[in-house]
Amino acid sequence: MPHRAFFAFIMPSLAAMLLFIALPIVSVAVQSLYVQHERVVTEVETCTPFSGCTKETRVDAEATEKLRNDEPLGRFNGFGTYLDRNHLAVTEIGAILSDNAGFKDTVARVYNLPFYRALAFTLTYTFVVTPFAMLLGFCIALGVNAIPPFYKGPVIFFSLLPMIVTPLVGALIVYWMASSQGILGATLQVLLNDPTLSLKSSAVLTWITLLVYGIWHNAPFSFVVFYAGLQTVPHDTLESAMIDGASRWERIRFVVIPHLMPLATFVGLVQLMDNFRVFEPIVGFSAEANATSLSWSIFNDLRGQVDQLFGSAAATSMLTIVGVIILLSPVLVRTWRDFNRR
Amino acid sequence: MAEIRLKNVSKRWHNFVGVDNFNLDIADQEFLVLLGPSGCGKTTTMRMIAGLEDISEGEIWLGDRMVNRLEPKDRDISMVFQSYGLYPNMTVYENIRFPLRVRKVPKALHHEKVMQAARMVELTDFLERRPAALSGGQRQRVALGRAIVRQPSVFLMDEPLSNLDAKLRVSTRAQIKNLQHTLKVTTIYVTHDQIEAMTLADRVVVMNKGVIQQVGTPTEIYDNPANTFVASFIGSPAMNLVSGDIENGTFRGPGITIPGLQTDVKGSVTLGFRAEDASLISEGGELGAAIYSMELLGEATMASFRLGDQLVSIKSGKEYRAEIGDVVHAAIPASICHLFDARTGVRIARIPGG
Amino acid sequence: MMVTKRRQPLPLAVLSTGFVLLWVFMAAFPFIWTVWGSFKVEQDFFSRDSWWFAIEGTRTIARTGSAFTGDGYYGAWVLRDFFSSVINTVIVTVSVVVVSLTFGTLGGYALARSGYRYTFWLLMLALVFRAMPHITLVSGYLLPFFEMNIWGYMPTAIIVLVAINQPFTLWMLHSFFLSIPKDLDESAMVDGCSRFQAFRLVVIPVMWPGVITTGLFSFLLAYNDFAVTAMLLSQPNQTMVPKIASFLGTVQQEGNVMFAVAAVVSATAPLFVLVLFFQRQIVSGLTAGAVKG
Ligand SMILES: Nc1ncnc2c1ncn2[C@@H]1O[C@H](COP(=O)(O)OP(=O)(O)OP(=O)(O)O)[C@@H](O)[C@H]1O
Ligand SMILES: [Mg+2]
Repeated sequence: MPHRAFFAFIMPSLAAMLLFIALPIVSVAVQSLYVQHERVVTEVETCTPFSGCTKETRVDAEATEKLRNDEPLGRFNGFGTYLDRNHLAVTEIGAILSDNAGFKDTVARVYNLPFYRALAFTLTYTFVVTPFAMLLGFCIALGVNAIPPFYKGPVIFFSLLPMIVTPLVGALIVYWMASSQGILGATLQVLLNDPTLSLKSSAVLTWITLLVYGIWHNAPFSFVVFYAGLQTVPHDTLESAMIDGASRWERIRFVVIPHLMPLATFVGLVQLMDNFRVFEPIVGFSAEANATSLSWSIFNDLRGQVDQLFGSAAATSMLTIVGVIILLSPVLVRTWRDFNRR
Repeated sequence: MAEIRLKNVSKRWHNFVGVDNFNLDIADQEFLVLLGPSGCGKTTTMRMIAGLEDISEGEIWLGDRMVNRLEPKDRDISMVFQSYGLYPNMTVYENIRFPLRVRKVPKALHHEKVMQAARMVELTDFLERRPAALSGGQRQRVALGRAIVRQPSVFLMDEPLSNLDAKLRVSTRAQIKNLQHTLKVTTIYVTHDQIEAMTLADRVVVMNKGVIQQVGTPTEIYDNPANTFVASFIGSPAMNLVSGDIENGTFRGPGITIPGLQTDVKGSVTLGFRAEDASLISEGGELGAAIYSMELLGEATMASFRLGDQLVSIKSGKEYRAEIGDVVHAAIPASICHLFDARTGVRIARIPGG
Repeated sequence: MMVTKRRQPLPLAVLSTGFVLLWVFMAAFPFIWTVWGSFKVEQDFFSRDSWWFAIEGTRTIARTGSAFTGDGYYGAWVLRDFFSSVINTVIVTVSVVVVSLTFGTLGGYALARSGYRYTFWLLMLALVFRAMPHITLVSGYLLPFFEMNIWGYMPTAIIVLVAINQPFTLWMLHSFFLSIPKDLDESAMVDGCSRFQAFRLVVIPVMWPGVITTGLFSFLLAYNDFAVTAMLLSQPNQTMVPKIASFLGTVQQEGNVMFAVAAVVSATAPLFVLVLFFQRQIVSGLTAGAVKG
């Protein structure tokens, strides 16, 4: 295909991506360097006949509004936003590191800083949910592969539901069941014999519920991909292994798993990317008191109806993007190497 | 010791019959070839012996064990698949070692056995490669090596040469024959290529539509086909078959008359003779017709004639030349002819001394 | 195709079947439970006493005289105007699917047919774009959109969703186009079609399965999106998902949680139907990316 035809064909798609993905990233980068104008303060002298004159500082609402409208970006702040308490919190971390009462205390105090709190949950979620969901998906695939063909359709139908459901809606459905008056929450109270147990009050329970929800939501994807992979396991090789004397488990280990390995890499990559942006479950579970994520922090900064903290949201966004790049880098590096070898 | 005995073995899927009432005794150390057209049930028979396919009816005995219910791994067999079934993630060495590994053969013996097998199939230079980095013939040898490393009592091979090019086929064929001779292992070999069958086999089983047509040595099958199916399947070109009537030992077909057949059958029959047994002559003979086409084969010339709606070929020396349309004659003496029942296709025995 | 016999030993068969049954139960139960519960009153669905109430509908009978009530649905659809958000959702999703597929088929076709190196880089770029969290992109949009006065309108959200959707659509359609032999369009061009005619008249007609599968995933992305629609649409233009989110706060205070439950069930129903009819396409789509990507 000649260059001109190629670009004519790809133009709409490319333009959309550049305008609404590449440009916003630039816009985020710029915004992150600015911070909202402080309120304009005027000194007003009020004199009363009896007590004399007092100087008073007052917020000049009108002037503030005007300034903010004229320069919506705010004032230049350099990397200030990145380093402040709500983001990397460099000074706070420095203080904690230089003066702390042991490892536990350090962790606890760092965890109290909003950015690190969000980061902690985001990473936990990403690296717990991804492998467990893949493992569960693989086991389901093996199980479904062995049931009579007639039942496979319905089983796949139900298996797809947790994945296909709107994340926010799925989170709400599970949240209602897990809340202290829902069927799961109530059962759990009975089982653990603790009538005060509830999602609201227990951070541990919140984390566990979110992680379980994540696994429930992500397992079907692995299941479907692995199940399809199982259908293409070479018959000859499997039967060779049977004749060579391999047991059921050895056949899985030496033939099936190596065959599914490339698929597993793909699934793992996609799920890492998706889980790293975990967001809706936190809204659905109203879990922000106990667990926040990077995406949720951005959302929270932007949501303020009066004061939208664009600078702060943008800084978190940039840090998130750096995280994504780090996650992706092994793949990118490998692809780059493969490509150059060709 | 591993004779194999198949007693009334059948395989059915719903109402489709894949193999029908298969009876056969295979002697120890015999090289048996299953031969037949595509879809005739060769692979199915072999897979039932291997235990990869359930048996609908009948019994399979390996030595003195009835193996119907045994898992493939407990049958002491090894198998070479058409597409080899190598483990793509393992090196050649690991592939060959695999049966030893999963059968818990003591580790100390592995290396020696693998190397011995690798030497036999001439793979010692490639042991560290993965199957993807091997040529078809090399892959084929890995599969062979993996089959022999454990010294099983039966080898099963399902069209192991069909993915190789013509030249490689010839050399690998020789190698397989030699291996079997050295190792003295009962071998069942599936193919639809009659040359392979003829060159390799001690005995050949010709199958069609799930039914055995004939069992015999390659010579028997070539010289005395049991029915028209075998006659038309074996040999290249296949036996000429002409339908006609016979009376008082004289066969009459379109453009062909052969007297002196030693038989007392009357009525319609099928007459068969091989292209190389007949000869072209200038005058007289049993056949006289216009040449339909001429083919130069290099070592010979093949002339074909159209008799009714059948083509008949006759081989002649390589110097023989004639044009299409020339009328020539052929000598087809009664002694080279075979007779088959016109309806059932079964061979009609000659009267002894004929 | 030969089918290897599968004689599983009994304990293993029981174990694996049991596991599959357990999974199906875990996957399906939350939905069944919520659909069932959405026809009860709050005191049953969120019963303080026993969740048995939710099954029998004890309080529902006491309050309304029958074991099932549509109060939640009435409240959500009529009192809370869920209906208008449904219409908005239809507009947004249909537009996103149509535009995405138009852009995506053109781009995917170009990527599959051009032999140059830059296609590789474009695909890699798309992969990186695919990894960007949506909310970070949203934080880049807000300020410029406010300034340009295009915030809050449906077309804005639509084009943004289309763009976010492009990387995935491109990858998927690219791999579908690769599976169509080049000879097809080349022979059409020899026969006198222009490149575009060949694309439209010859390639697209045999691409329908791929287009439908990709369309399904575009639909899901638009339908399930929360970050973009919640932040970029003004109140009256809201689609279902952000509408449900904004329900939550107010409704809980008023003691009308059942409105939200009913809305949630209403929003899930179309997805059920979708899976029911397009199960095969969904499965093949998920796999296509994996096998080829
Ligand atoms: N699982 C199955 N279900 C139904 N029919 C089958 C099945 N497996 C094989 N068959 C049928 O049984 C017949 C014999 O098949 P088989 O594979 O044994 O043929 P074959 O002689 O090995 O042929 P080829 O030379 O092509 O390999 C074929 O007609 C095939 O369609
Ligand atoms: Mg076969």
